[in-house]
Amino acid sequence: MDSFMETMEQGVLGHLMALERGGMGRQKQHDSQRSETLKARAVTLRAKRDQLKHHTDVVKTLKDKIVKGLPLRDEDAAADGFVELQKSLLTAWRMQLKDLQRAHHLIGGYDLVECKDGKSACVSFHTAFEGVRLETYSVELDLTRAVQISRHNVPPSFPLESLAKRTLQKDLKAFLQTLSQNLNALAARRRQVCLLKELVGSVEVMESNQLCSVLVLMCTAQSEAPKAVLCTLEYGDLAQCLPTRVSIECEDKVLSGSPQWKKNQSLLLESPAHTALLTMRRMGSIS
Amino acid sequence: MDAQTTSVLNRIIRRIPNKNIEDLLKKWNCLSADQLRALDYTRPKWVIVEHVISFCEENRLNMKHITNLEMIYHIENPDRGTWHACQLAEAQDDAVCVELTQFKEQFKAHLHGVIRHISIKLKKHEDEAIWIRIAWGDNFNKPNHLKPTYVVHHLHTSYVFISNLTAKHKIYLCQALVIATKHGSIKDGHLSTKSLTAMRDLLLRRYQQVFPNAHSRILQDRNTVSSHPCIGKEHGDHEEMRRQMSCEAFGLGPSPKLETAVYRLETRYRGTGDHSLGDREEFFRGVVRFSSSGLLDSLRHCVASGIAEGPVTPLLSAITQRGRNYFVITDKGPGVSSQASAQTAPSQQTL
Repeated sequence: MDSFMETMEQGVLGHLMALERGGMGRQKQHDSQRSETLKARAVTLRAKRDQLKHHTDVVKTLKDKIVKGLPLRDEDAAADGFVELQKSLLTAWRMQLKDLQRAHHLIGGYDLVECKDGKSACVSFHTAFEGVRLETYSVELDLTRAVQISRHNVPPSFPLESLAKRTLQKDLKAFLQTLSQNLNALAARRRQVCLLKELVGSVEVMESNQLCSVLVLMCTAQSEAPKAVLCTLEYGDLAQCLPTRVSIECEDKVLSGSPQWKKNQSLLLESPAHTALLTMRRMGSIS
Repeated sequence: MDAQTTSVLNRIIRRIPNKNIEDLLKKWNCLSADQLRALDYTRPKWVIVEHVISFCEENRLNMKHITNLEMIYHIENPDRGTWHACQLAEAQDDAVCVELTQFKEQFKAHLHGVIRHISIKLKKHEDEAIWIRIAWGDNFNKPNHLKPTYVVHHLHTSYVFISNLTAKHKIYLCQALVIATKHGSIKDGHLSTKSLTAMRDLLLRRYQQVFPNAHSRILQDRNTVSSHPCIGKEHGDHEEMRRQMSCEAFGLGPSPKLETAVYRLETRYRGTGDHSLGDREEFFRGVVRFSSSGLLDSLRHCVASGIAEGPVTPLLSAITQRGRNYFVITDKGPGVSSQASAQTAPSQQTL
């Protein structure tokens, strides 16, 4: 009764304040409980972190030793025993291989992916020319009995079967290397033809083919009377993006024999087609 | 113009709808501008045919020009008739260096050497395809221009597409192709369609293929309807996996418009019901035929939607992987598994 009278005296606001005080007290209790649990958790987490740190240090040292080719010793595994050492070793190996794979991918090499639980592997070849990334070709290899190509998206005019017959069974690495080189060269030659058409509009492509093994261009030589000059670029080596033979033909024999055009011929032999033609245009040989 | 020339011209014009005749004649470029203007394409077909014939006679055109017109028509409309694919094998080392002129010379020289009367026309289309039209005669008769064979070949590839070839002439054509492309042999490709475009798309791989790779396993469909954020897909992973499987087997995006796939069974009956059928020594012969306006799209949908269980059976994925639509399935060994074997098609089949 008295307390009731007291509170009645203090009024509604007083009542509210009393309730607030009560709540705060409980909150403080709750807070202190919570902070204790959190502190305990922090301690356990720190202990776990230290353990993991130690573990990763062990794996890192193992990995460094593997990379440098140094012999491994038992101390490296600390006191955990042989099984732990094996586990750490495997992890270290795996990390190193993944790094190598990533590095290979970054420098534009080919990616190898295992599929169908090891029955087949898919190799992707990325092609690039002059810093521009071009098409990606993939080849799926069937590994069950002998290594065979099961499917691919390499252009059909590319002599993939003959290349496979030569090197696939004997040396997979050499096969992949040659294929990557040839595909890069093909993409480079194709890109040169595209760039040619884009940048040097005045030159007409008279003949080319899917493999870009021959390119016949018609240029207009700048002289008093503009004459047509036919440049034939033959790419004898399909693993190269530069031609093996260049021949210049013109009705005016004097023009085609002139030192300026001899220089142009060597220019076409030594630099990519579009660069050579742009230079020729800049020098005033062609319009 | 002689009777055969007139009938060939007649046949060409009759096939084309009136609205397309004008374009074809313009491309042909054998009639003058006045003559082209004088033609009224709203008149009945026989009137147009008569006018064209009279203009051709006025311009003194001969069979050569008419066959040119027929070739242009076929190149513009490749999806007529039935096409069969053949595959060249055993490429010689210098097969990659074969040039167009070399191919033309060798091909013509061989055929002219074996058949006295033959008319061969070669044309290179802008998409690197060589179209060949052959009207066959023999040692006594002139070439028959009413039944020409059409052959399409992309240089440096090992595929040849043939339409309207009789068994009698097959051997000559095959020999000529093998010699001109510097290969060792040619064999039946077990692929026949009504649409040359579909056949070319399939064999020359002009559709988007999907390969498994480590980086983008998930194929994002650009057109997915954005669903409500509160709705989650229970079987999202399974759906993605099925989608990946179907695209790996049948390609992504619009696939070549194949119409049929035929599986001829030469297997023994293995059902559990009627034992009398199973005890017989001879095969239980049957033919399974899939028909669709877009066979590969349908099969892909079957796999992606879960109607057909994955992984995709090699019998179906062989359509795209090996580029054929005729298979003979035989029993091999004591097991239940049947494999598709590469047997030659029956000899009475005319190409």
